Amino acid sequence: MIASLLIALLFPFVFSCSQKLVRVQPYEREYFSQDKMLIDPVESAAEQEGHVFLIKEASAGGESSFQGGCGCR
Amino acid sequence: MRRLFGLLSLLLPFKALASSLADRGGFTFDYYADNTDVQVYSPGFSFFKTLTKKFLIGIKMRIDAISAASIRKGGSPIRTDAVTGATARRAFDDVRYAPTLLGVYDDGDNSFTLGVYYSKERDYTGRSVFANYIRQLNLQNTAVGLGFSQSFDKWDPVYKRNLPTDDRKERKIDLSVTQLLSPTSIVQFIYSNLYSEGFLGSPYHYLLGKDFARFETLPETRRGHAFTVKFVKLIDEPTSVNLSYRYYTDNWGIKSNTADIKLLRDLTDSFTVGFRFRYYIQTGADFAKNPKEYSITDRYIVVDYRLSGFSSNTVGILFIKNFGFSGFKLKGALNYYQTSSNDYIRNWYGEDRIEALFGSISLDYTF
Repeated sequence: MIASLLIALLFPFVFSCSQKLVRVQPYEREYFSQDKMLIDPVESAAEQEGHVFLIKEASAGGESSFQGGCGCR
Repeated sequence: MRRLFGLLSLLLPFKALASSLADRGGFTFDYYADNTDVQVYSPGFSFFKTLTKKFLIGIKMRIDAISAASIRKGGSPIRTDAVTGATARRAFDDVRYAPTLLGVYDDGDNSFTLGVYYSKERDYTGRSVFANYIRQLNLQNTAVGLGFSQSFDKWDPVYKRNLPTDDRKERKIDLSVTQLLSPTSIVQFIYSNLYSEGFLGSPYHYLLGKDFARFETLPETRRGHAFTVKFVKLIDEPTSVNLSYRYYTDNWGIKSNTADIKLLRDLTDSFTVGFRFRYYIQTGADFAKNPKEYSITDRYIVVDYRLSGFSSNTVGILFIKNFGFSGFKLKGALNYYQTSSNDYIRNWYGEDRIEALFGSISLDYTF
């Protein structure tokens, strides 16, 4: 079921060159060069809090962090 | 490349724009303290050097200087273990060294990262390899990512306890799709598949029952799935909102929901401030009981509160100072974290809940 969900999610992006997905032209992207529009606006803090939440809670993944192993987990 | 630093420090990059590699470096200092008498001071640096227009290599180094009652006392911060507890307090109870080396190929439409990670502390050695591929599609409105990491970690407890195995291996596969929705909004989906095997608990956790004492005993494999959606929207210049939701589930019976919201606002052309709130809630593992209900015959014994049901709240502030054409950028964040009250926390830490303060400040320079 999960595999099917993933395929359904990724298929239109991977195999389509649909113009419907071209929503923003290069000259319209000025806002995406601003820090406040980044998905992780403060990268070092995102890395640290990803590590803190990883060692304080049971959940993992779904985040951008690559978290190498440490004994505190 | 605006997201280069993020790309290099994180497994899944979110490159929403066409970009090129650039030489960069930076210093970071992280701090963490909580009410269980843990303090961690973490200086670090990073340096990334382009070899050609399409190739880059980088190094990151992080040091964790740790002061913790749990280390000094051999396990629980409220009970001194006669065998494992240290008698004298040193400046730091443990120091962890964690270098990362990586290489990046980026031709504008394809980006491939390959790296290795090593971590050494007194009783634990971490070794990982990671790789990541990003493909830009639809005139760079869409980015599809595939990430992989595998760790080969090893326990070496400070006292000679015969563990069932001293290995811990963790594999993570990430799939991501990032899509520009409009000139002022972007969405990202991430799916993570996780698999762990080996000794998945702590060698120092033990349970004192009425007439028995047992070490924490957990299953030796764990399989999990996480689904995340992130959304960033410019509300109106100069304010943006950053939303994130994650659902996690695993075969130990733990399910969790995480919601995170950040509001960011430019106060000047070069100074941005933000506020964040995060809420997290999880169920307990199927085999976790109230700490007072365990018997000596139970197959699994849970001591770690992270395997019980609880929730947490995090509030924080952040700032970004851009020094313009000088190439310097100063960024920081400070967060307060609090869990709900919990019998496991009470049993092990002698506190009703965990309360923590943590922050990070970094100075980055683009050559």
